[in-house]
Amino acid sequence: MKRKNLFQFEFLLLFVLGLEILIFSKTGTNFATQRNMLEVLRQSTEIGLLAVVMTPIILTGGIDLSVGSMLGLSAVLFGKMWRDMGMSPALAALTTLLLGAAGGGLNALLITRLKLPPLIVTLGSFSLFRGLAEALTRGVDNFTNFPQRFLFLGQGYLLNVVPAQLPLFGLITLAVWLLVHKTTFGRSFRAIGFSPEGAHYAGIPVGKRLTLAYTLSGIISALAALIYVARVGQAKADAGTGYELLAITAVVLGGASIFGGTGTVHGTLLGVFVLAVLKIGLTLSDQPSELAGILTGGLLLVVLAGEALAKRISAGRIHANPKPCVPRTAET
Amino acid sequence: MRSKNRRNMISNRSLLCFASPLFFLLALSCNKPEQTSAKASPSGKQIILAMMPKSKGNAYFISCKKGADAAAKELGVKLLWDGPTDPDPARQNEIVETWITRGVDVIAVAVENREGISTALRKARAKGIKVITWDSDALPDARDFLINQATPEGIGFTLMDEAARTLGGKGEFAIITASLTAANMNEWQKYIEQRRAEKYPDIKMAALRPCDDMKDKAFAESTAILNSNPDVKLLMAICSPAVPGASEAVKQSGRKDVKVVGLGLPNDNKRYVREDITPSVILWNTENLGYLSVHAAVAVAKGELKPGATSFKAGRLGELEIKGDNVLLGKPFVFNKENIEQFNF
Repeated sequence: MKRKNLFQFEFLLLFVLGLEILIFSKTGTNFATQRNMLEVLRQSTEIGLLAVVMTPIILTGGIDLSVGSMLGLSAVLFGKMWRDMGMSPALAALTTLLLGAAGGGLNALLITRLKLPPLIVTLGSFSLFRGLAEALTRGVDNFTNFPQRFLFLGQGYLLNVVPAQLPLFGLITLAVWLLVHKTTFGRSFRAIGFSPEGAHYAGIPVGKRLTLAYTLSGIISALAALIYVARVGQAKADAGTGYELLAITAVVLGGASIFGGTGTVHGTLLGVFVLAVLKIGLTLSDQPSELAGILTGGLLLVVLAGEALAKRISAGRIHANPKPCVPRTAET
Repeated sequence: MRSKNRRNMISNRSLLCFASPLFFLLALSCNKPEQTSAKASPSGKQIILAMMPKSKGNAYFISCKKGADAAAKELGVKLLWDGPTDPDPARQNEIVETWITRGVDVIAVAVENREGISTALRKARAKGIKVITWDSDALPDARDFLINQATPEGIGFTLMDEAARTLGGKGEFAIITASLTAANMNEWQKYIEQRRAEKYPDIKMAALRPCDDMKDKAFAESTAILNSNPDVKLLMAICSPAVPGASEAVKQSGRKDVKVVGLGLPNDNKRYVREDITPSVILWNTENLGYLSVHAAVAVAKGELKPGATSFKAGRLGELEIKGDNVLLGKPFVFNKENIEQFNF
């Protein structure tokens, strides 16, 4: 029985992360330094935020493809409100967060009221948000020269060591972790993922829970946009292109089932780190960056295959007759 | 057995909750002394040059890399060539930031977005890494030099010289431009006219038509010019889609006495160059651009090329002029029947 613990999915991931760190410490220049580890965290912040709030959505069996586009739209809106409408950065940031919530709310409304599949709804808003961002800037306008105090959010270092965005990232991750793992909300997300009807008959307000998850995703996408703008120092309509897929990759790598019901926030976080370490480690080892794409895909498939195999083996230990590969949804 | 399983899993989960933040702790505890190759370079250590194109997949930049590789081999430096696969300003920033961590001696960037990359480049300079830009510039305070592949003067003069050579020193020509308001086009026209007035008084410009940067419109405008101005013996296309557009118009008109010269990419124009409709296409030599960028970057890293210099000797390219903080690649390159097949971009 004890051996089964080794197959706990997150341990496999932790092992992969450890292996990556070990390898890149040997091959990379200045990889195993405090500054680089903090740089890994700094560069993971935007994708990390998107992945962390994607986790409850995937737990409910849904998906949000619009987060990257929401990031782009929020970046452009923030730039427009600050430069063209004369708002202070703080006010513009606050309004951006509210608009992010509205965007997420729109997704939630269509999903809960019209009972449309999340994949289709967010595929629509994926195009809609990006399209709006491009229309607002005619595809060429680029907001720059933000005040130094705002840029500090993405470029500054607290006490000259800790990147300024990290405390925010940590705080939000902790909040979502508590929400998912320590409150009844978390349990209801999983219940919805297993069976929306069952959850409904069990007295869970399915619509409200889904609205919470998608609205949260909208707000945090807007927050990620602010951090992105502060880090890169510019807001353009193409900001965050493809981030939704990276976020989903991190969540799935982190052990969540795409069918809903299983998954953890700390698993997602590990997934984010595995991807970020891979990307930075390759560059520090003087390898071309396109290798990261190949290895990310390969790693995802290997880890998932490893997990499925481990499950089969452990299932074989418990039951006399090994059953054919059980999809992850079927287990708690 | 079930309940025992469950308990195990719960304890596992709480264990993991501690494991995840472990990464943060690891981040703070790792404190291996960092290598700073930046300081060591003058004392004979191999120089590490990190060079970034706008996008790696673009044939234009692949051709630049050929020259860069040659120069790196010649100078015995380590060349790291990396960049986004598609033009992506945020990815350019990330790679530069990672190069800062890695500790390279000099960074050379073909900039996709001026303001965006400048923050990262300033950070590199603050860490003692030398920075130059090539092909396209960042903000002036974010780099020491720009390797400038072509000046408006060079482009204007070369276009007019090629036109005059093709016309045999006299006759009429027409210009197809992108738009009548584009700043760079107007700048080129100014130098074309200056050269014509100074050196070729027997040549006359008969028409100037915009093509809105579209090949179709360039084709239509060229056809119209050929019909309305029968004395025009040469079309000068000064935006890249206009060159094949004008050439196609000449080809379909069947007129053997009209030629095209223009500013464009070799691949767009190869067939017309072969058929002798377009005797010369003007651009810069991309291999030389990569070659010069590496030479200049290395010289900056060694402290041999300092702000304020007025000339620079770059290997096989010889002595090149420096105007302000721009290292000039020199006169544009003329692609013609003899050499165009060697280029693929």
